[in-house]
Amino acid sequence: MTSQYSRDDTRHLFEELRRTGDPTLREELAKLHLPLVEYLAKRFKDRGEPLDDLVQVGSVGLLKAIDRFDLERGVEFSTYATPTIVGELKRYFRDKGWAVRVPRRLQELSLRLNKVVAQLTQDLGRSPTVPEIAKFAGLTEDEVLEALESGQAYSTTSLDAPSGEDDDAPLRLDRIGEEDLRIDNLEYFASLAPLIEKLPEREKTILYLRFFKGMTQSTIAERVGISQMHVSRLLTRILEFLREGMEGDSEY
Amino acid sequence: MRRQVNRETVMVRIPPTPEHLALLRTAVAGFAARDHFTLDQVDDLRLAVEEGAVQLLKHVTGEGLTLTVSRTEPGIEVRLSADVAGDDPVIDEESFSWVILRALADDVAIEMQQGHAAIVLAKHRLATAPQLDQDDQDDA
Repeated sequence: MTSQYSRDDTRHLFEELRRTGDPTLREELAKLHLPLVEYLAKRFKDRGEPLDDLVQVGSVGLLKAIDRFDLERGVEFSTYATPTIVGELKRYFRDKGWAVRVPRRLQELSLRLNKVVAQLTQDLGRSPTVPEIAKFAGLTEDEVLEALESGQAYSTTSLDAPSGEDDDAPLRLDRIGEEDLRIDNLEYFASLAPLIEKLPEREKTILYLRFFKGMTQSTIAERVGISQMHVSRLLTRILEFLREGMEGDSEY
Repeated sequence: MRRQVNRETVMVRIPPTPEHLALLRTAVAGFAARDHFTLDQVDDLRLAVEEGAVQLLKHVTGEGLTLTVSRTEPGIEVRLSADVAGDDPVIDEESFSWVILRALADDVAIEMQQGHAAIVLAKHRLATAPQLDQDDQDDA
């Protein structure tokens, strides 16, 4: 795989890890095998997920493999780990219900519409309607709907894939300013508090502004510095996360 | 050729399982998007239907969950209904779900009637649309 990759190192690290249980050794092993994860993750990269996300998912598989690997079995660790990592990646796609691969044409259209929506939002001072978007973009309403729908399908699985030129903009916390995000209102919902704590800062802000401040998605989008469609996806995912969380364990 | 239709209604009935909720989201979004609701509002409706349906699913005893979307004078009415166990409201007014629905819709009501529950959501159209009785298909 790479020149640093050494079987002896691996063996030695495993022996030490089993002997001492030192978590830094586990990390060391994970780092050493990251290229394997990257290599395997690349095999899934044409499914519309950002490679970084896939590597992260694959790493979970890697850690599982590290924890379960038995030195006495006499197999190479990489041989042992591969099916576990691939299994984790497959499970990821299955869990996310990623059955349909959005055709390139729709992905491109979706990106283009993102820009049209941003433009119209600015011009109109509010979120546009589908007929307005269709007219502006020279498309039929059905085409717009189809693209928006695919944007939704695509993004439930891929929130962090850039879907517009501004999506990577950092959260402008300075623009939130005086807003008290300590979610006093939310304390009322005791069961939710620990879940909300698990959300990234940006998601907390969006949740608060939409449901407790009653702001529209477009206003929030402008405020947080991402596209309206991205806000929409994040809200969908946040609510999903909270619902699942109320019923059991969940990770955002 | 032109028919006198002031009130359109679309109904979708799904088996009461989470896998089918996507159909309800799509239906309400498609209806509202064609009916001059803004994208923000369309998304609100999508989220509201999801939230309402998820809550309703917890109580369903029958074989189906029905979504009824109607065009009304100020906008749209969305009704999620199903046969349920008991007569307690399917959504508690002190729950987070209620807060969510209240934020997403202009009006929320829970109707409980002899083993049948309905979550009724109303959303008003912004003053963006051409007159409703005007045929605006031509300029599309």
